[in-house]
Amino acid sequence: MFFHMVLERNMQLHPRFFGRSLRENLVSKLIKDVEGTISGRHGFVVAVTGVENIGKGLIRDGTSFVTYPVKYRCVVFRPFKGEVLEAVVTRVVQNGFFAEAGPLQIFVSDYCMPDGMEYQAGDMPKYTSSDGSVRIQKECEVLLKIIGMRFDGTEISCVGSINEEFLGLIIDPAAVA
Amino acid sequence: MAHHSDSEDDDYSYEDDDDDSEFDEEEEEPRNSRKKRGRSNPDSAAARGKKRKPSGSIFIEDDVIVDDDEEDDEDVEDGFIEHGEADHRGEEVVHRQFHEPTFRSRVGAEEYLDFMQEKYSKPRAQYDDDDDYEGGEELTAVDQQALLPSVRDPKLWMVKCAIGREREVAVCLMQKAIDRGSNFKIRSVIALDHLQNYIYVEADMEAHVKEAIKGMRSIFANHKILLVPIREMADVLSVKSKTVELARDTWVRMKLGIYKGDLAQVVDVDDVRRKVTVKLIPRIDLQHLADKQEGRPIVKKKAFVPPPRFMNVDEARELHIRVERRRDRMTGDYFENIDGLLFKDGFLYKQVSTKSISTQNVTPTFDELERFKKANENGEIDFVDMSTLFANRKKGHFMKGDEVIVIKGDLKNLKGWVEKVDEENVLIRSDTKGLHNPLAVNEKELCKYFEPGNHVKVVCGTNEGATGMVVKVEQHVLSILSDTTKQHIRVFADHVVKSAEVTNGVTKMGEYELHDLVLLSNLSFGVIIKLDNEAIQILKGVPGRTELVIVKHGEIKYKIEKRINAKDRNKNVITVKDVVRVIDGPNKGKQGPVVQIYKGVLFLHDRHNVENAGFLCAKCSSCVLVGGSNSAADRIVDSFSRLGNPKPPAPVPPSPRRFQRADSAGAGGRHWSGRGGRGHDLLVGAYVKVRMGPFKGYRGRILEVKEKTVRLEHEARIVTGKLSPLHTLLVARDAIADVNENVATPSQYNMGSQTPLHPSRTPLHPCMTPMRDSGATPIHNGMRTPMRDRAWNPYTPMSPPRDSWEDGNSGSWGTSLLYQPASPMRTYDAATPGSGWDSSTPGRNYSDAGTPRDANAPSPYQPMTPNSASYLPSTPGGQPMTPGTDLDVQSPDIGGDAETWLMPGILVNVHKAGENINVGVIRDVLPDGSCVVALGDRGEGETVMAVQNEVRLVCPRKNERVKIVGGKHRGLLAKLIGLDGSDGIVKLDDTLDIKILNLDSLAKLAHA
Repeated sequence: MFFHMVLERNMQLHPRFFGRSLRENLVSKLIKDVEGTISGRHGFVVAVTGVENIGKGLIRDGTSFVTYPVKYRCVVFRPFKGEVLEAVVTRVVQNGFFAEAGPLQIFVSDYCMPDGMEYQAGDMPKYTSSDGSVRIQKECEVLLKIIGMRFDGTEISCVGSINEEFLGLIIDPAAVA
Repeated sequence: MAHHSDSEDDDYSYEDDDDDSEFDEEEEEPRNSRKKRGRSNPDSAAARGKKRKPSGSIFIEDDVIVDDDEEDDEDVEDGFIEHGEADHRGEEVVHRQFHEPTFRSRVGAEEYLDFMQEKYSKPRAQYDDDDDYEGGEELTAVDQQALLPSVRDPKLWMVKCAIGREREVAVCLMQKAIDRGSNFKIRSVIALDHLQNYIYVEADMEAHVKEAIKGMRSIFANHKILLVPIREMADVLSVKSKTVELARDTWVRMKLGIYKGDLAQVVDVDDVRRKVTVKLIPRIDLQHLADKQEGRPIVKKKAFVPPPRFMNVDEARELHIRVERRRDRMTGDYFENIDGLLFKDGFLYKQVSTKSISTQNVTPTFDELERFKKANENGEIDFVDMSTLFANRKKGHFMKGDEVIVIKGDLKNLKGWVEKVDEENVLIRSDTKGLHNPLAVNEKELCKYFEPGNHVKVVCGTNEGATGMVVKVEQHVLSILSDTTKQHIRVFADHVVKSAEVTNGVTKMGEYELHDLVLLSNLSFGVIIKLDNEAIQILKGVPGRTELVIVKHGEIKYKIEKRINAKDRNKNVITVKDVVRVIDGPNKGKQGPVVQIYKGVLFLHDRHNVENAGFLCAKCSSCVLVGGSNSAADRIVDSFSRLGNPKPPAPVPPSPRRFQRADSAGAGGRHWSGRGGRGHDLLVGAYVKVRMGPFKGYRGRILEVKEKTVRLEHEARIVTGKLSPLHTLLVARDAIADVNENVATPSQYNMGSQTPLHPSRTPLHPCMTPMRDSGATPIHNGMRTPMRDRAWNPYTPMSPPRDSWEDGNSGSWGTSLLYQPASPMRTYDAATPGSGWDSSTPGRNYSDAGTPRDANAPSPYQPMTPNSASYLPSTPGGQPMTPGTDLDVQSPDIGGDAETWLMPGILVNVHKAGENINVGVIRDVLPDGSCVVALGDRGEGETVMAVQNEVRLVCPRKNERVKIVGGKHRGLLAKLIGLDGSDGIVKLDDTLDIKILNLDSLAKLAHA
């Protein structure tokens, strides 16, 4: 789920950046630092949309760096257990497949697929349903539900399921083409 | 054994396994007399003696079944002893002894038992009163305590005897007691099954014991007789009974035979005969069986245990083994009978003694259960089967907060959370309405419960230590997706706990760790990719295909610790941790850091790869190094090899660094620190000093260059500090100084050695060079360098610091170097034929020229090039910023010198290769530095094009008209009125001022 929220961060800035463009420097550094990272509670920081407030800088002892508390608005992507997401299959392996929803990687175990889904090894490994109507392979888009998640500092690992009504394959580019 | 405890009807049952059932009638009587009452009433002694004689052996019981509360028995005995002891009560004792048989004969076994229990459970005091048979008081704990032996009671002595003769000795002593009567002062003799070599004798004094054992063959009389401390007396006779609970469906393990260690399931228990029927997966060699049945000679293979396999009846029939189908009379089930063995559903049903199975610590592994399940038609391991698993739960199995599910009883399938754990009972809280919370449930009725998505850690079994996320729950069996291997693990819910950590399972086993490179016993090598409890999985170093082996600890010869380098396809040196890409073979396209190198085989770890824990192996020749190498040495060598370029006239860079820069300039970017490009790689390995930030002052080698940061390996310790590019840059400059001292000095010598050479080549030369520059420099240098400095230095440190630094630094080498690094010139040179040495000469030339020409420095520079006009006004702005610009200010002058040589209207000598020197007049100067020269003194001859180094000024003579071509007065006309060494005295046409200028800046004017 995406959220637009205000986060705070202490930025360290080198005095060389002081001057008229201090603020710009600070903002560009902020964007560089936080976009694409994972914060434990909020998930992926997708984009910084604005800076609310830059606090007073504090010179750090021993170094010439100055610390600024910066409040910024950003869009975060935070997966939740039970959330239903669209994801693109990136890799199919023996015991399930990996799919990506934006920056998030989700593993769908073959236990969490509808009955009758069979793994087909080969050049392009895939899962096919017993009647052959559903084929999940790389590049397919699937609708899946997150059943488990683990935050691990710099990584979120998710386990998903497509074994429920309305879940599963939505677009198969191979079939479309 | 002459002593045994009672209150268990077994002990007195007639069908006792002993050989003495013919003595039934007398049995209970000697029971009382299991103490040989040596000092009992002499009157009755004879009578009793008679009776006891035959009955003595009856009381040698094979099975001692003793309750935990042994004291009970003991003081009963005490009671008896007291009876026996008290002579005045002798009558009663006798009386009672004769009573019992009558009593016994009247009542059934049960009543008898009741009677016995009642009787023996009475406290001693009641025996002392005469109403032994009355008084049904409950025995309290305090009473029990009172029954423990005290100092007034007889003591126990330990007597050593021959091994295996304990019972015999006891019987002998009993016989002796019977024979000797009251002279025999010991009270009882005890032989314990579990205690070899010793018997216990109960007596008041050691002397009595000694007397009793005197002359006994099997007793070592000279051995010391030990007194058992009072406190331990009770323990002598308490035997912790092993309560063997054998119920149907429990899991057991076989202790003996070919099935040793195999898992079996109890099908039937025969308590009487102490036999159980178990269900096993048969280990039967059918061929062997067939051979036997047909009477063929049997080749005896020792130590061959057939693998467990389900019996296939059809297969057996094919081998002509007789299979009978029989119906079991008791159960009504059909069994296949093969060679006396019973099979059903492929399982072997076998009757074994309870002693040959172990019931303790049976933890069936998942696989084992799975196999049992497979053969079952219904294919379910239900919770009943799990009971044995539960029996082996550790203490503290359940923790507060655990999610549990009830698996037995009325509340089956109730889910809840553990609130509190008492010994056996677990208080759980559940959401279900209508139940009072918390609910007490027996631990055995609970099982842990997990939901898909939980992150768990396996705490026992083969997968111990692994972590993962639950993907499926089938009752008590969980499917877990391992965090590291992304494989599924199936475990019992009971064997996992919730956990947030991520582990790989076992990472170390003995001396071998995960990802170690090891040499196997067959001389092949590989990397450990998985460690199990007993096995090690190894990816063998066979490039081109994946070869996995599972070995035991002992099959590994040793760990290979050597650090070996290899060369990739492009002969770059690969070291461990370098990132390489496989460009050949089955793993083509994969990429990852090198983990191990051995014999030209690389083991990479590709984290996108799921198989083999992400490991793959490849030949080093089918890989290419990606990005910068981490090894510095080869880089430096590399640079040197390039330094030693086989083009002697090529510019000799003052340092490898400098050269690199030039290189990158050639590639289009002036700054090697620029975005992307190979410049990054070239930084790697350089020794640098950190100039700012928290690591200021540190020196180290650059390990890795990223877009914005570099990683340094600190000389003393590894500080992988992240530095901004600026730091890097500045650091790098410092480093040049360092590198120069150490590395690049030779090249400087080169330069030095070249410099003196230079003037010696041709005296004209110094004059010529400036001319060449005159065309080029004003445009480029005048425009670019200073402006760059001014415009960029204060704000954009990316490139300018470098410039400014270089300026400053070059200052130490001489101002002349200032321009050398400026690449525009270089590019220019590149376009110029013969620039081979020229490009490096200006610097040297200047230093040479410095002396003769400095006087000329103030020269009419501005009027000549409009470009420079724009430069000059802005110079003051630049000056205060960097000291380097001072030099800049000066340099245009010098440059001006150089630029002035070529001017229209002056007389020059044109010296084209292979031609004679011709005199000519410059007609025009082209922007590229070449000029149009009209040959002849007056320019009357043909017109030729000449590049600047092909023309030389013609030195004017006294009283000739000259044109000032350098310095402040550049472009003015004058008359040379005198010569003073290398200086000429001129009289300017305009002002008629007399000036002394360097001869070099004076050109002879062509006659108009």
